[in-house]
Amino acid sequence: MLLVFVLPALVFYAAFVLIPALGGFWYSLTDWNGLNPSYRMVGLSNYVEALTNDLYFLRSLKFTLRFVVHMVVLQNLIALFLAVLVESRKRGKIALRTVFFMPNMVSMIIGGFMWMFVFSRVLPFLAEYSALRFLDQSWIGDPRFSFWAIVIVSLWGGVGYLMVIYVAALQGVPANLKEAAYIDGANAWHAFRHVTLPMIFPSLTVGVFVTLNSSFKVFDVVYSLTGGGPGRATQVVALNIFEEAFKMNNRYGYASAKATILFAIVCGITLVQLWIMKRREVEM
Amino acid sequence: MKTRKAPRGPKVAKFGAVLILTVYAAFTLFPVLMGVVNSLKTEGEILNNILALPAVPQFLNYKTAFEKIHFFRSLVNTVLVVIVGVAGIVLFSAMAGYKLSRTPGRLSYLLFGLFVMSMLVPFHSIMITLTQIARTLGIQGSLVGLGLIYIGLGVPMGVFLYHGFTKSIPRDLEEAAIIDGCGEFQVFFKVIFPLLRSITATVVVINALWMWNDFLLPLLMLTDSRRYTLLLSTNMLFGRYVNEWSSILAALILALLPAVLLFLAFQKSIVRGISEGAIKG
Repeated sequence: MLLVFVLPALVFYAAFVLIPALGGFWYSLTDWNGLNPSYRMVGLSNYVEALTNDLYFLRSLKFTLRFVVHMVVLQNLIALFLAVLVESRKRGKIALRTVFFMPNMVSMIIGGFMWMFVFSRVLPFLAEYSALRFLDQSWIGDPRFSFWAIVIVSLWGGVGYLMVIYVAALQGVPANLKEAAYIDGANAWHAFRHVTLPMIFPSLTVGVFVTLNSSFKVFDVVYSLTGGGPGRATQVVALNIFEEAFKMNNRYGYASAKATILFAIVCGITLVQLWIMKRREVEM
Repeated sequence: MKTRKAPRGPKVAKFGAVLILTVYAAFTLFPVLMGVVNSLKTEGEILNNILALPAVPQFLNYKTAFEKIHFFRSLVNTVLVVIVGVAGIVLFSAMAGYKLSRTPGRLSYLLFGLFVMSMLVPFHSIMITLTQIARTLGIQGSLVGLGLIYIGLGVPMGVFLYHGFTKSIPRDLEEAAIIDGCGEFQVFFKVIFPLLRSITATVVVINALWMWNDFLLPLLMLTDSRRYTLLLSTNMLFGRYVNEWSSILAALILALLPAVLLFLAFQKSIVRGISEGAIKG
């Protein structure tokens, strides 16, 4: 009876996740190009090529890593900060949550296009007709600024989601614990640092995990906002793999090797993160 | 008894909090507001003053956008995919999650592990072979086929959530139902499934949102523009009409409207569903 209940889920899961995942790994060891029905095993040479000889791939790795670091720090800090501020309010909590969370409902494809309008038309206009001269940058065209454009739009889309998680965690902190701290003479910062923070640390683990996972795989924002350009200056790993497989030379085997490398990195880093933060949870 | 409240911060701190929240709210709303305002202007007005309100609201832009992205067709296509995907994920992962949770033993444990294991695999690691499989199965280009693929991608998390929730349901009910002569399927559909409804709401919300806003899989699967989802149709506008911002902005507003309206209507359950899903998942 167990199998009868599990089978439907298992069939779909096997067909569209398990087999493709195993197949992807298998093809990463071949020189398959997607069009040619025949292919041969090439061992690890795809991996060697990607990691030693593929300048654009390595650059996209570096760019993605830089993006991930910025997102993990900024997104969690801003979300936690906003959550604390929102919770400190008596009125308007629901309205603020509605506004902050709204971008999360919008596809980042749409969000990216809307921001493209802001970056390419609105900000230059503001710079020209106001004192905000610093806004007059080539936000999309200059890689130094388009990195920040991508970060800003990603934060716009992602902060509200984490804030909701942190608000829920803050509401779970018993008020009498904080009161006890205040009676003992703690100020607001100390109460936060020594009472609230340890209590909400498990949700911080979740928040960092979610951010790591989503920002390593970032695709939509970059696709809609810069398309990876100018040139390939803002190309992220996901976009590099996508172009390798479907846009340029259909090197499916080679692109699969890159995807496997991405998987290994995401897996390794998130496991280390979970391990470290889970241990801290116990200590705090 | 008098309770001791937190010490009142100085007025400055309070004002600071309000200021920061206002600034962030403005940042959040700014692109949408700019989009709405400029979608109602003429191209000339956009060039002239991007911040000004339209002299006369140009609703014609919306009509143009409506036609350019084939709004109704794209909407129906998207809804079809979401319905197929959500229905399959709810039904199949409820069955599997419930049964796995109730069955002791190594096989059950292994199967559960098999489902959960994949939750770390990035979509990019499977997408290449997935397109090949879809081609082999003859479902590439089909909307129902796309929904079926979503079932496969969505069941691991569904199984995980249902598995956890089933533990909180007492066994007495199903035991009583079995004594009354119910078969296992009857027990599940008549007794258990209704009891799972709060987690079902979470599963529906999370998955519907994900499919609604997913871009890459439809991009790989749907080749015929008549089958395009809302996102794909909108994406089509770029590169071809980049200089006609007024109608493009109108199209963007149209494309984000359904999700935002649904959010405003069901905000409470959506936010609860999403935060529960994140904390348990």
